[in-house]
Formats: sequence, structure tokens, C-alpha cells
Amino acid sequence: MTKPQKKLWVASILFAAFFGIAPRVGAMHIMEGYLPLGFCVAWGMISLPFLIKGFFSIQKKLQENRKNITMLAMSGAFIFVISSLKIPSVTGSCSHMTGTGLGAILFGPCAVSILGIIVLVFQAVLLAHGGLTSLGANTFSMAIAGPFLSYGIFWVCKKCRIKRRAGVFLAAALGDLFTYCVTSFQLALAYPSEHGGIFASVAKFLAVFAPTQIPLAIVEGCLTIVIMITLENYAQPELKNVGYSKEP
Amino acid sequence: MIKVMRHHRSHSHGTASIDFYACQSGLRHWNGPYKVFSSLFILVLCLGLDHPWISVFVILTIGTVNLFGNRISFLNYFELLKMPFAFLLLGSAAVAIGISKQMVGQVFFSLGGWNFYVTKEGMLQSMELFLKSMAAVSSLYLLALSTPASELVSVLRSIHMPKVLAELMNMVYRFIFILFEVQREMRIAAASRLGDVDFKTSCCTFGQIGGNLLILALKKANTYYDAMVSRGYEGELLFWEEEKPIEFWQYLLLAGYFAVLVLARFCLLSES
Repeated sequence: MTKPQKKLWVASILFAAFFGIAPRVGAMHIMEGYLPLGFCVAWGMISLPFLIKGFFSIQKKLQENRKNITMLAMSGAFIFVISSLKIPSVTGSCSHMTGTGLGAILFGPCAVSILGIIVLVFQAVLLAHGGLTSLGANTFSMAIAGPFLSYGIFWVCKKCRIKRRAGVFLAAALGDLFTYCVTSFQLALAYPSEHGGIFASVAKFLAVFAPTQIPLAIVEGCLTIVIMITLENYAQPELKNVGYSKEP
Repeated sequence: MIKVMRHHRSHSHGTASIDFYACQSGLRHWNGPYKVFSSLFILVLCLGLDHPWISVFVILTIGTVNLFGNRISFLNYFELLKMPFAFLLLGSAAVAIGISKQMVGQVFFSLGGWNFYVTKEGMLQSMELFLKSMAAVSSLYLLALSTPASELVSVLRSIHMPKVLAELMNMVYRFIFILFEVQREMRIAAASRLGDVDFKTSCCTFGQIGGNLLILALKKANTYYDAMVSRGYEGELLFWEEEKPIEFWQYLLLAGYFAVLVLARFCLLSES
């Protein structure tokens, strides 16, 4: 072992002993203060059109039936709760679902963008996951990019008559992976590598978070299937109510 | 009661605990918009002034306010500060470590023609980033530990956020705790029936709890709407709010803190 390697090794042991060896593996929220101010504003601006679209879709839903307000609020609370529950893990580490795929399949991507930003604000102030300055970037990756891709995959699978469960799995797992790729891209854009620029930096961030995020995406896919099976078996009328259609 | 409080404090991820601290904070009776504005202002200053010594100063001063003003014990505050560590550690490592085909910096590891290296600038940048982020997290805690989420929503409402959103936020905030309670009961029921006996079973249990939670949530949503309408709900939830005027010295405090930060930044700038 060379000298720097040894130093790194000793530092990691000290760190692990000091802070415990099972770190909290959240969905990839960018922490408070991690992005420079310009990027915070820029990501907020990019998210804005999607949020406005989501806002109008929610308003339309409420005009159709005023009763939908409690349904939407419950859906938001459900996304919050499901994304803060500790999921089963073989290693004993503490990880969470993103819930974006499930939300998009159940409620549609437009509604999820607004529910997503509300959930992210509460996650920041109640759980210290994410932050207020990084809200724009987190909203884009978790409440917009992930859900839209998930919904797209689910829709394509339905059109191609691929088995429903496979569609749900792909939508949830790929939506989660896409969220993680977008977050890595956001981080890389803010901190490009000195030698190699943004793309080398994207590779670095992807590699650093891959060991936690890839298994998480697979587990999330499986859990979403189990949730959907339970719902399809027991809650057809409720599913229809939230806008999820049964026909393949 | 003590048992309930202990349960809330030790809740798996502190959902109830941060809210619990906010409700027992010594700054609870300070003006809501003042608290929100000053925390955000300090947060933006941390990012804008962007200097490691400023970050250290903010971590220490805001930490002191959180410990003594928000009345949180040192151990609990340390626990809260640990939360963002996993992300910060991995993120800072990614900033510090470079990958290149050429031999640059101090190479400590090579794989298939790619060199993993660290440079002095990279290490410094990642250290600065780490400190800046910790300072920002401290300011976020200043807000979160002194202002319950319901007060935050009422501040957002006073700056004319769309009414529908404020309404949704108010309801989501209240429903979160109801769903957590339902989920906790389901978990106990599942655990007592060997629901966590192995990995596969616990995955099934998690999924089934998730599904059942949504079914119950939607059923409750209907009941709550009926309950609200029967009590005169007409599309707007109005809450009684305590009047909390801002004292003159509180303005002075914020202005003083701002002046100290900006002066310190100028001194550091002229020194370098």
C-alpha cells in the first residue's frame, strides 16, 4: 500500500468509527448549500414551466370536483411517507424509496410535479433531506425528470402490450435511475472536472453514487410491483378515482 | 406521555423530532416571517460570500443559537448534523478525486489506463464546499428547529402563494402524521406475525403495507372532506394565529450579524 492510500484508509476508518458505519442512503437529494447560487436559480427557472403546467392540471381537477382536494393532499402525504420509510435491506444500511415512479404511475406526472415540490419542502424542513436553496434542482430531478420518464415508460409498455408487472418494474426502476443520473449531471455541471470537463465529472459522480443507487433502483422496482399488485387486488375503485386506468 | 414523547423523538428518521423541537423551541414566540426571512438571508449570505472562514463562523454562531436559543441538547444537534453526512462525504469525495488518462496530481490508484488522482486545489475546493454546505445546513436548522411547518405555510400564504397550494400544504402537513401513525400500527401488526423473518418476506410486507396505506389514505380523504364540509369548509382553511410583533433589537441583531459577515469577508479579501 502506498503512503497516500494508507492515509486514505486510516482516514476512512476514523471516519467510520466516528460517524457509524451504516450511513443514511437517501434518495439522491442535493444537500443545502451544495450548489452555487446561480445554479440554484437556474434550476428553479427550468422547473417553473412544468410546475405551472402541474398547477393548472391540479386546478382543473379541483374544478371538476372540489372533493379532490383531500384526495390530492392524501396522495402528497402518501408520497412523503412512502419516501421516508426505511426499506428492507440485506446490508443493514438505511435507505429509502424515491416514490417518484409510483407517484407518476398512480397520479400522473403533472400532478406529481406539484405534489413533489410540496413533499420536497417538507422533506427539507422536517427531515433535513435536501434543502431550500437546492429545491429547484431537486424538484427538477425528482419531481419532474423522474416521474415524466417513469410515466413515459409505463405508457410505452402499455402500448406495446408488455406485461403489466414488467412495465411497472421498468417504470419505477428506470425512473429512479434517471433521477440519479440527472442529479449527477446537475452536480457535475456545478463542479466540472479540471481535466476532462463536465463529462469526466458526470462519470465521477455517477461512479461514486452507483453502489448505493443501483441496488436501490432494483429494490424500488420490486417494491412498486408488490404495492401495485396489492392495489389492483383490493382497491380498483380507488385506483380509478386517482386516475389510474385498469385497461392494458 | 413521556413514553409518547420518547417515541416521537426516536422516530426512525426524525420526522416528528424536528417538528417536536420546533414546538418546544425558545424562539417559538418570535415573529414567523422574521425567522423565515433571517434564516434564508443567512443561508443566501453563506452561499454568496463563499469563504471557508465565513462558513466556520456561521457553523459556530448559528450552532450556538440552535443549542441555546432553540433549546436542543448538544447530542441531539450532533445527531441532526450527521444526517447530511452520507451525501456530503460522497459528494465531496467526488469533487476531490479526479479521473484522467494523463498523469496529473498525486495518483493513488490506476485502473485500466485511468488514473485516479488528487490535487491540492481539488482537496481545497472540496473542503470549502463541505464547510459551506455545513454552514448552509446549520442555517436550515435555524429555520426548521424554530418554526413549525404550519407557521412556515402561513408565512408562505402571507407572501401571496396561490391559495390552492397553501391549502394543499396545510393538509399534507397534517395528513403526514396521520399516515405515519397508521403505518406504525401496520408495521407492529406485521412484525408480530413474522413479517420481517427474511429479506423476501420483508419486501412483501413493505409492499403490502404501502398498498394498504394508500387504500386507507384514500378512504380517510373522503371521510375528512365530509367532516370538513359539515363544519363549514368552503375552500379555505383558516387557522387562529398568535400575534408576534418584531422587537426593535431583533432588527438590530440581524443587521449586526449581516454587518459582521460582510466586514469579515472584506477583511479576508484584502488580506488575500
